[in-house]
Amino acid sequence: MSTPERVVVVGFGPVAARLVEDLLPAVAAGTLALTVLGAESRAAYNRVLVAEVAVGRTAAGAIALADADELRRAGVDVRLGATVRRVDRSRRRVLLDDGAPVPYDRLVFATGARPILPTLRGLDFAPHAEPRLPEGVAALRDLDDADLLRRVVADGGRAVILGGGVLGVEAALLVQEHGAQAVLVHHGRHPLPRHVDDDAGRLLAHRLCAAGVQLVSEARAVAVQRESDRFAALELADGALVPGDLLVLSVGVRARDELAAGCGLATGNGIHVDGRLRADTEDRVFAIGDCAAVDGARPSGLIGPGWAQAEWLAAYLTRHRTPPVPAPGPADTLPAVPPSASPESVDPLPAASLPAEPPGAILLKARGLDFTSGGDVSPGLWDTDAGGRRVSIWADPQRGAYCKMVTEDGALTGFVALGLPRTAAELVLLYERGRELPADRTTLFRLEDPVAAPAAEPGPDEVLCRCSGATHGQVATARETGCTTVEEVGRACRAGTGCGGCRDRIEAVLRAAAREPVGV
Amino acid sequence: MPGNARTGAEGRGDSGRASSGPGGSGGGATASHCPYCALQCAMTITPATPAGPAAARTVATIEGRDFPTSAGRLCRKGFSAAELLGSGERLTAPLLRGPDGRFAEVGWDEALDLVADRIRGLRAGHGPDAVAVFGAGGLTNEKAYQLGKFARLAVGTRLVDYNGRFCMSSAAAAGNRSLGLDRGLPFPLTDLQAADVVLLLGSNVADTMPPFLQHLESARRGGGLIVVDPRASATARLTADRAGLHLQPAPGSDLELLLGLAHVVLFEQLADTEYLAARTTGLEQLRRTLAPWWPRRAEQATGVPAESIRRAAHRLAEAAARAREAVATRREPGKVFVLTGRGVEQHANGTDTATAAINLALLLGLPGTPAGGFGTLTGQGNGQGGREHGQKSDQLPGYRRIDDPVHREHVARVWGVAPEAIPGPGVPAAQLLHALGGTLPDGRPGPRMLLVHGSNVVVSAPDAGRVLAGLRALDMLVVADFFMSETAAEADVVLPVLQWAEEEGTLTNLEGRLLRRRRAVDGPPGARDELWILAELARRLDAPGTYSTVASEVFDELASASAGGLADYSGISHALLDAAEGIVPRSAAESAGVYWPCPAGAPRNDDGSLGTPRLFLDRFAHPDGRARLVPVRPGALPAGDAAGLRGRTTGPAEARRSELTLLTGRLLEHYQSGAQTRRTAALASAQPEARAELHPAAAARLGIADGDWVRLENRQGTAVVRAELSTAIRPDCVFVPFHFAGLGKVNRLVTDATDPVSSMPAFKNTRVSLARVDEPPEPGPAPPRTPDPSRVRPGTAPPRGASR
Repeated sequence: MSTPERVVVVGFGPVAARLVEDLLPAVAAGTLALTVLGAESRAAYNRVLVAEVAVGRTAAGAIALADADELRRAGVDVRLGATVRRVDRSRRRVLLDDGAPVPYDRLVFATGARPILPTLRGLDFAPHAEPRLPEGVAALRDLDDADLLRRVVADGGRAVILGGGVLGVEAALLVQEHGAQAVLVHHGRHPLPRHVDDDAGRLLAHRLCAAGVQLVSEARAVAVQRESDRFAALELADGALVPGDLLVLSVGVRARDELAAGCGLATGNGIHVDGRLRADTEDRVFAIGDCAAVDGARPSGLIGPGWAQAEWLAAYLTRHRTPPVPAPGPADTLPAVPPSASPESVDPLPAASLPAEPPGAILLKARGLDFTSGGDVSPGLWDTDAGGRRVSIWADPQRGAYCKMVTEDGALTGFVALGLPRTAAELVLLYERGRELPADRTTLFRLEDPVAAPAAEPGPDEVLCRCSGATHGQVATARETGCTTVEEVGRACRAGTGCGGCRDRIEAVLRAAAREPVGV
Repeated sequence: MPGNARTGAEGRGDSGRASSGPGGSGGGATASHCPYCALQCAMTITPATPAGPAAARTVATIEGRDFPTSAGRLCRKGFSAAELLGSGERLTAPLLRGPDGRFAEVGWDEALDLVADRIRGLRAGHGPDAVAVFGAGGLTNEKAYQLGKFARLAVGTRLVDYNGRFCMSSAAAAGNRSLGLDRGLPFPLTDLQAADVVLLLGSNVADTMPPFLQHLESARRGGGLIVVDPRASATARLTADRAGLHLQPAPGSDLELLLGLAHVVLFEQLADTEYLAARTTGLEQLRRTLAPWWPRRAEQATGVPAESIRRAAHRLAEAAARAREAVATRREPGKVFVLTGRGVEQHANGTDTATAAINLALLLGLPGTPAGGFGTLTGQGNGQGGREHGQKSDQLPGYRRIDDPVHREHVARVWGVAPEAIPGPGVPAAQLLHALGGTLPDGRPGPRMLLVHGSNVVVSAPDAGRVLAGLRALDMLVVADFFMSETAAEADVVLPVLQWAEEEGTLTNLEGRLLRRRRAVDGPPGARDELWILAELARRLDAPGTYSTVASEVFDELASASAGGLADYSGISHALLDAAEGIVPRSAAESAGVYWPCPAGAPRNDDGSLGTPRLFLDRFAHPDGRARLVPVRPGALPAGDAAGLRGRTTGPAEARRSELTLLTGRLLEHYQSGAQTRRTAALASAQPEARAELHPAAAARLGIADGDWVRLENRQGTAVVRAELSTAIRPDCVFVPFHFAGLGKVNRLVTDATDPVSSMPAFKNTRVSLARVDEPPEPGPAPPRTPDPSRVRPGTAPPRGASR
């Protein structure tokens, strides 16, 4: 047995937590030695639920995704509050802020993303440092931000949310739902511009207003006004002021890729990795989650793809040892070595590379407003082409319902659905699986409210009692031969003697007889 | 040497027929239970009077009998069961396949001598594992026990397993893992009558056990029946008219749905924290695995709207809180139950799915309290007892483990052998059947001879085509059955046995209650009780130990073997059950019932019951007395067709278009492989053939009209059936019942994927492609008839029996 391979994970967010969890068997088996370096003082927690914590729907302690002590007992070297200064790839070690080196055989960047801070007067930030925000301004990314929002919600205060993306809209609805006032300030004509067409956007705006959210559309924020060093109002380009107790910045995130850039890896909208999540050419450095630009594509910002990457990478790291190289050597001069299964490995290889997924679907986490979208919804009804594109639209704005489906060869490439929960859920499955839609698209709307079959007058040969197979005709015959109770009918033809679910129907037959004049 | 005449030791010494007592239902009536499912509805069997009208071969009539679980009701299967007693298709003499491939009747001595000779020969030449034994969840406790003992001691093989592996193994594994003990319902079924909310996952009781529905009425009245099923099944439709909720997840996503439900309960602070602290371990780990399953993410995986998930979770949690409150203030609680069935269990992650259901019930504070509980609905008649008494590859009687030295020693003592005489663990059913005449998963040679009791694996096993090929590759196949089933038709030796109304024994119903099966009529003169067959073979094999042919004696031995085990029957006997059931009329003690565990000397409970009607009230069955919250999460998709339509499709558009998820299941009119119900005129005429239930949208895409012939095809095989269009099914699914043979044998399409913990096959989520076929195919062969053996199989298979 060779010495355990040293895997170092930089970052300890939700995606890193999944990777660590899936590597535990290899740690237990002694084939991996795992170190996790987390910058926050707490182990990974579920960022997606930070807003829920903020409004007190769930407790901060409840959204943990990992337990540092438990991982340590399992043999993982967990270091919290550990800031990485730089990565030395030639000597294969990570240098911490305190100068301590952490050697690795394999390195995984899971550094995530940080909120983008807009250029506003009154917000100072240094480009290369973690930003410090003034009092009353939060990004709603971590649990400290949640604390700020919680106080505003508890006081029934007024939260100004800057940014009309998914997180901004979700935060606005959540604040509103908990009895505080949300003001959503955003650029375009309507929120979620990347996920709606014009009609859906207008309906969405309408629904947000109906929920009590104040919308400030087509706005450009220019400054943060403070009073006694606290946020007081957001100043817009036209000079208008939007006052509030808290400013929530939600204008997007940017991959934390500085460490990777600093050690000579390709970056730009994230750490560039290939289909096997490799950031280098020698199968030693990887990146996953919000910091990883797979095949150069901007990270989705969704948790699902990050977890899929973590699961895939864990399987890969477990089954493929690093190819032998003369150590130590300058990493960049080595030829690319295709990874191969270690001799002792009998497991099948994980899929050659991470399966390609369509851009993730957006399922807005808000109650009372069903908004779901995926892919490109910009084509209009007549923007069809020779490639088999088809666009279908259903709109019932008074009921708050709208749905657009864009298909190529029958498979969804884009959709948006509002106020149609069941249809939307089905569209997500069809979209993610690449399955063909029913040719008659209205099938998908009938799922919403399954209409019972019209109650036709049953014929004599139709089964009345499923358990016994007794027909309406047989029950009628029983009635005609003198049966007056369900029990008597049961003795005569067994109807009603199974599950008993048809007793009402038998009684109805008997009642009908009682009403009929004798002799008819 | 016994000849063909029946001996007095075949069970006549048992209590036998009840004479009419005060209030009895007339001369010669016998109180017994239904031959079919695990509900085991009580019935009275009355032999037809010889003087009566010569209605063709009417041997007996059946009436429902008042009983707590069935309240006198029977379904269509039950009340037509007597038709089979006098069926002209009964096997009435041992059959031996001759060199010409045809069966010929032989005497019992000749048949049994031959079987014993072959066992001895193969054992000498290839070791005892060259012979395998396959049992069934339909066998009485006595037969199941005796079969396991026979396999281990008389044959000496480790290779014994049974068809219950296809039904209950995932729920059983989950129950054992989480609660320390698996008893389908750890509470009396009638507790459901006080339910406010019942979450029913993957079970279509309206078709599979109709009289069960009366126990759901209470929940329906309050709008609290929540059914999870990809089909709007007859059961799901019971939620209409504000009787409850129907959640219709995409196939294979039940685990994600349960994680979503549990997430809402835990993260919206609806869980019973006091209960969790006092009675469970593992909450923090569970919390972390549930954190990623907020409702919208669960929606994304399941196709069930987040709001429906939330509504269902709140319905459950609010009812649970009310029930707790009632219990605390000594009022009658409106109970809350979580129940699972095969629909969520027959998957490659079935054990984890059942575990997630248990976790949900634990979060709600239900199991082991008067507020409700968790249960799984056992399917086969003796699916409960059948999994406790040693016909499972890894178990010994009393739910003991075959790899535990202490357990082995106990059973060896009862059997009068050294512990080393008991072989080690074998391999589970699907792996065993797929290794026939080939190679076992561990690389060792597969069995060359198989004895099948009470199972029709040609129809019911997954990847059925491979099983059929395996059976044909055997040196010898011996099948004990009362009809020429599709499996018997493949045999070298067929041994005719008795039906339910012709034999004595016990069954353990879905709630762990012991029931007596009583002889009401005589079987055909040439048929034999399996206890007698096993005893005769054991004698010919010079087996150690004793093999009684009297069911009550076998039960007494089973009781000793189970003493001190999890499923302890040592305080039970036939005499006690007869007294308790009071035959006719019903006594108070009968309605109270006898439930395992029931150790010897256990005093009567306050309500007159014996044993343990409600498990876990004081402690769970783990050493620390606590239930385990076992964290589970979805893993990688299974390979090949077992993934269904999950994951992103990659094939060419034309192939994608025809792909659907195959769901297999049951019809009201049929039971299991249909070996019995397809031979019952009333049932067969109502449902004569398998039909593919298909959504009109899918049908339109594929150019299929109602009634068209369609071919279902995948890597495993092909089935051809008629299409039946219905909006009750999801547009991405096709449902085909598995009761049928011939072209409609749908288990040919099911893969060999199994659950890693329980070895349960994944019957429920198979990718198939569907196409209309123009010409109606050749009709499938009619069920073979036995009176004319030459018609059974017109020389389709080469003769076997001489050498491989």
